[in-house]
Order: sequence, then structure tokens, then C-alpha cells
Amino acid sequence: MSTTPVPVTTTTASPWLRIRAVARRHAYVLQRAPQRWFDVVVWPVVDAVLFGAIGVYFSRQSGVGDRGVGFLLAGILLFHVVFQAEVSLATGFMEETWSRNLLNLLVTPLREVEYVAGVVLFGLAKLAFSITVVSTVAFGLFAFNVSDIGLALIPIIAILLVVGWAVGLIVIGLILRVGQGAEILAWGLLAMLMPLSGIFYPVSALPGILQPIGKVLPLTHLFDAARSVLDGDGLPWDELGIAAAGSVVLAIAAAWFVVRMLATFRSRGYISRHM
Amino acid sequence: MSSAPDVLRARGLVKKYKRIQAVDGLDLTVGAGERVALLGPNGAGKTTTLLMLLGVVSPDAGSVEIKGHHLPRHRSEAAAHVGFAAGYLPLPERLRVGEFLRLFGQLYGLSDPKPAVELGLNRFGVAHLADAMGNELSSGQRTLIGIVKATMHRPSLLVLDEPTASLDPDVALRVRTGLNRLCADEGTALLVTSHNMIEVERMCERVVFISSGRVVADGRPAEVAARFGRDDLEGVFLHLAEEREGA
Repeated sequence: MSTTPVPVTTTTASPWLRIRAVARRHAYVLQRAPQRWFDVVVWPVVDAVLFGAIGVYFSRQSGVGDRGVGFLLAGILLFHVVFQAEVSLATGFMEETWSRNLLNLLVTPLREVEYVAGVVLFGLAKLAFSITVVSTVAFGLFAFNVSDIGLALIPIIAILLVVGWAVGLIVIGLILRVGQGAEILAWGLLAMLMPLSGIFYPVSALPGILQPIGKVLPLTHLFDAARSVLDGDGLPWDELGIAAAGSVVLAIAAAWFVVRMLATFRSRGYISRHM
Repeated sequence: MSSAPDVLRARGLVKKYKRIQAVDGLDLTVGAGERVALLGPNGAGKTTTLLMLLGVVSPDAGSVEIKGHHLPRHRSEAAAHVGFAAGYLPLPERLRVGEFLRLFGQLYGLSDPKPAVELGLNRFGVAHLADAMGNELSSGQRTLIGIVKATMHRPSLLVLDEPTASLDPDVALRVRTGLNRLCADEGTALLVTSHNMIEVERMCERVVFISSGRVVADGRPAEVAARFGRDDLEGVFLHLAEEREGA
């Protein structure tokens, strides 16, 4: 026994080591759970085909040409950025509750922020794969090239990611507080935001009573900005600025919320729900 | 009692869940290398106490210090000195045993966890399970792997909640043998809960009985039994359980 090499405990590299371990854990899950590919590949492809075909049909009916197709495909593609960011984070956490691994994790030196970073890191890899698939389908089937949006894609995607992660944190906070009953919100919360934030249409197309809600959502301004770029009007920096400021406020509120819910989780002993 | 420096020091722990007083002013220390059993009837507050010591549940009052690190502020640093396993904890699905152990080795700060994984699997006689999927294991094998996970990083304190519950006697013996070897080789302190009093007498040099969230006895097994006028720990346990039912 004494001849066995002694394990080395690192200290300075530990946060990165732990982040990588969390990311790898979720890579194993994706590798061995075929149903998880639905979120990553199947739904994005279904959406691209569905909205691309709707766009083609209405464009032919109304005679507006390819613009309608571009709006719908850009909308669904960008929506999948925020969707993947959110779902990766929320379902990553839910995986720990489903496999009753939460207590195992909570007794390790892993910090909450490191856990989130690890899930986000792997989520980015899934997102890159998913967006590549949707872009390829949109280009191959409908001749829509997402790169037509140009460099404006970079800030738009960055803000979409922040919004997605913020909504993911809110879902995690709700699961910590009310348990697995809140899991449906991992998919449902963004589905509720989808019509309100005008991903396919300007917010003026919403019923009047819903328009004020749409206008305060950062996503609304972001999709407006994307449509403006597609229209060839250039990037509306004011819309982008509002979206960026809104996403930062949302991210701060989400971080505050999840920290509060974690404190409640620890204080009320809700770990017993997951043992 | 051990005169070595304390690895765990808890003072005045209080926890109330709505109308239930789970823990009521509990003090507990565990010295370096000391083997302590936390005992008591169902609902005495053992698991709540362990969860507070591990920083998973926040106490309403009181303090916890592990190797000089105070909870909750320095939970991560404290956790690096502690290992935890419980008989009721499953292994995560979709992971092979070796993958699970390597991942947790990294979470505990091992830059190269492979040697520690091999050492741990050999120590508990389960090296053949390295490639098995977590959900293919029997409950006994799961318990052994859970203990390997908890000990890979050579913790100063190993906390075990019902480690041998529902295990066959031969597997329970392997757990005890492995733990005894670990404690002897590495000087690891042990804090264990169990309903098996014979096992406790074999493994632990000190027992702490709690009832209704309070410490009612603390000392060597024979001393505690004598204090309650019983022949052994089983008698003390039954006495406390009857007292609780009568209350």
C-alpha cells in the first residue's frame, strides 16, 4: 500500500480543474443519453424546416420575395441561441436532481459559480454544434445565409447568451425553491417570452395590451436590431444598447435571485427532497 | 478521548424545521484520527447534524469549524478536508465507475486522480468495477464505490451516514476492514452514524448519543453503556428509543 503513488492535491489550479470536471460530466451525459440530442439537433432542425417553409409559403402568397423567409429563419436561429443557452444551464442542473447527485456535489469543494461555469462551458459547445446544424439546414434548404447579418451577429449573440443564462439561473432558483415541479419552466419560460419578444415580427404586431410587456424585454430590442440589419438599414445601436442594458439588469437580478434561493434551500433543508 | 487537535468543532448547533426542533444546542468535536459514532433513534437529529457539519444545511444558530475553516464562509476550503458517503446515495446515471471517481477526484482538487482511484478501488476490493456503469451496481457495491469517492483525496475527516445499512454481512465486513485500514494508514478521523451497535463497537473508540437533537451521552462505548446501566450500546439505544416513544 505504501508503494502506491500518493495523490497530489492542487490548490491554485483547482477552480479550473473543477469547472472542467463539471463540463466533462455533462459531456458524458450527452454522449449516453440519446434523448438529449432532441434539444441540440432535432428541435432546431424541425424549427428551421417549419419556419422556413412557412416563410416561403407566405412570401409567395404576399409577393414580398425572400425577405419574409429571411426574417423567420433569422428569428428562429437567433431564438435557438437564447434557447440553447438557457436549456443547457437549466437541464444541466436538473440532471443533478434527476440522478440524485446534488448532495454528492454540495459536499465537495465545488463552488456554485464554478458549477455554473462548467455547465455553461459545455453548453457553449452544444450551442455551437446546434447553431451550425440550423445554419446548414437554413442555407441548404432555403438559401438563407446567416452570415448576411455580418459582424452585427457578434454583439447580438453575446446579448442572447447573457439573456439565456439569466433565464436559466432563474429556473435553477425556482427548482431550488419549489422542487421538481418547476422543471417545466426550463422549456416553458422562454416559450412564454417567445411571442412577447417579437422574434418573427415587430412588437407593434402584438395586441395593444401586450405591447408594453414586449417593449421592456431585452430580446424584443435585439430581434428588432437583427431585422434592421437584414433590411440593410445597418445596426441600430440604440436598440442594441437598450438590449444590452436590459440583459445586464436581468443577469444581475437572476444572480441575486438564485443566490437567495440557494440560501433558502440551505436554510430550510430542501436537500432532503433530493436524497 | 483523543488529545490530538480537533479536525471538527461544532458549537451550539440549532436547527428547527417549522414545528420540529431537529437539533437543539448540539456541541461536537472530533480529534485528528479519532473514530466517533453519532448515534440515536430515528428522528434524533443525526442526519440534520451531519448535513450542517458538511455545510449543506445552514444552522439557525451555532458554528462549525473544520480544520480551522469556518462554515459557511470557507465551505469550499473546509470541504477539501472532508469526505462524505451515505448508504442511500446512488451513483449518477450514465457514468462508469472509473469516470465517476475521476470526476470527483478532480472536484476534490486532484490534478491526476488516476492513482488515487486505483488505490481506493484496491483498498476496498472493487477494482473489477472500474468499467461498470453506475446503475449496474448492487447496493453493496454502490456503497463501496461511494466510500472510495469519499476517501480518494485523503480527507482529514471522513463522514459516513449509515454506510452499511442494508448490506450483507460479508460486504459490511469489507467496508469495516477497508475503513479500519484507511484510518490506520492515513490517520483519517471518522464520524459515522449507524443503527448497527455491534459494528459501532468494533469501529469506533468514542460514541455520541443524541436524542431530540441534544447530546445525551459522550464517551467510550463501555463507559456510555455503564452510565445508562446497560450491558452494551444496543441497550442504551433501546432505552433512548423507548424514552423517545414515551415522550
